[in-house]
Amino acid sequence: MTSFLTRIGGTVRSLVVLTGGMFLLLMKILRSFVPMACDSRETWRAFYKVGVKGFPIVVLTALFTGAIMVLQSGHYVARTGATSLLGWAAGFAVFAEIGPILIGLMFSGRVGANNTAELGTMVVTEQVDALRSLAIEPTAYLVAPRFLAMTLMLFLLTAMGDLFALVGGAATAKVMLDVPVGIFFQQVVDAQLLDEYWLGLLKGMVFGMSIAVVSCYFGLRASGGAAGVGRAVNASVVAAAISIFVTDYVVALLWGAM
Amino acid sequence: MSQAIAQWMDSMVRLGRLFRQTFTSVLKGSLRRRRSQLIVQMYEIGNKSVLFITATLSILGMISVFQVLKQVEKIVPDFSMIGPAFIQMMIREFGPTITGLMIATRVGSGIAAEVGSMVVTEQVDALRMSNAKPVDYLVAPRFVACGIQTMMLSIYGVVVGVIAGSITAYVFWNISFGMFLRFDLVQWGDVVSGLLKALAYGFTIPIVASQAGLETKGGSEGVGAATTRAVVNASFAVVILDLLLSGFSYLVLYG
Repeated sequence: MTSFLTRIGGTVRSLVVLTGGMFLLLMKILRSFVPMACDSRETWRAFYKVGVKGFPIVVLTALFTGAIMVLQSGHYVARTGATSLLGWAAGFAVFAEIGPILIGLMFSGRVGANNTAELGTMVVTEQVDALRSLAIEPTAYLVAPRFLAMTLMLFLLTAMGDLFALVGGAATAKVMLDVPVGIFFQQVVDAQLLDEYWLGLLKGMVFGMSIAVVSCYFGLRASGGAAGVGRAVNASVVAAAISIFVTDYVVALLWGAM
Repeated sequence: MSQAIAQWMDSMVRLGRLFRQTFTSVLKGSLRRRRSQLIVQMYEIGNKSVLFITATLSILGMISVFQVLKQVEKIVPDFSMIGPAFIQMMIREFGPTITGLMIATRVGSGIAAEVGSMVVTEQVDALRMSNAKPVDYLVAPRFVACGIQTMMLSIYGVVVGVIAGSITAYVFWNISFGMFLRFDLVQWGDVVSGLLKALAYGFTIPIVASQAGLETKGGSEGVGAATTRAVVNASFAVVILDLLLSGFSYLVLYG
């Protein structure tokens, strides 16, 4: 019995340490913007790397997401003949919910995991210690640029992704359900989804922030050589997935309350 | 561009080869002598993912119901079909697919990290030297364990998501459980389609992840890169399979 309680206590304790550590890291990142201590060349490099690395995977995911949602609503459309449902399904579900979540998860796999691997390698090969010994603060030099880049880029990539999701949806509607492309886009416009569109972009931005904090946290805490880097990446993507769902819930609730 | 396509084709060929090797290894009964290894992997892949799946799928259920009801409230204040439609979508699409993505994230990266660090520390070479095939020893147990456990976790994920959704509907809109938890719309096609997806994800993820792990080069940098590749490729495989199987079930299972 006591060992069981000890285990639960241990789990809760490590969870608290984890969230506390991430929160402190976030505070440290925000602190490095006032006064601006964030290295500008490193920031541009991070923008380029995150944006370019994330772009193909986000476009492909979005295309598939739009296609899948149209296919899934196809059953109802075929049964009732209500093509207006298509615009709603492709627009509402993709813009507000499934689009940001799938794009966020893929982005976390591509960019977040890559970031953890990179930082983890720097930590286990003592490059971060070298930075410190040169009086360069690792948070301002390494973490803050990535935070900025992921926040901004996931926002922009979600906007791009929404467009490609509609393209994928339109193509599927044409091929599988024989709905003309013009009518499909008319339905999307008629569904009046501007609010959902903004909600999706907001979600993208918040996901970018949480992926950045989580992936940097686990990267900076990697230890124990090659195996340690692998373990850090594993823990990082799991935590990033959970944080995506949790922040999604919080954003949806706050948005609903407004 | 053509180089990228050639590379992609090449990696697909290698993936196919690893799949064939693993499949023949399982058929030849390589697991009969490694039953304990299989149990260990099933525990690692299945039991240790339960908490993760519970957290993510319950939140997914809550958000979906919350947002759909918020939207429906504006158009038609008729909530009677929301529950059945939500349950149908969960069984057919979101339950298996989101579970699959979560398994790809957790298990895929775990397999790649583990196998990758074995490669860079030359443990895989040591296996080869002692005439034990890495496929028999490392890939086959994970392949079977992940296949079985993804199926189980998908079913569990659907249940968790539906329960969380019905609680949300009750708390925020006062929709009774009796009205929400109806299975009117669920057909056999939905169940078959969902289970087919879970099966496909379960057997694809370990192969994709093992492939990334076995091709690890270099030191800690290589392991990091392999783990990243495993997560991306496995999640992307899930999305592609989802599209293919959705199309298949739309055309075949429902006629």
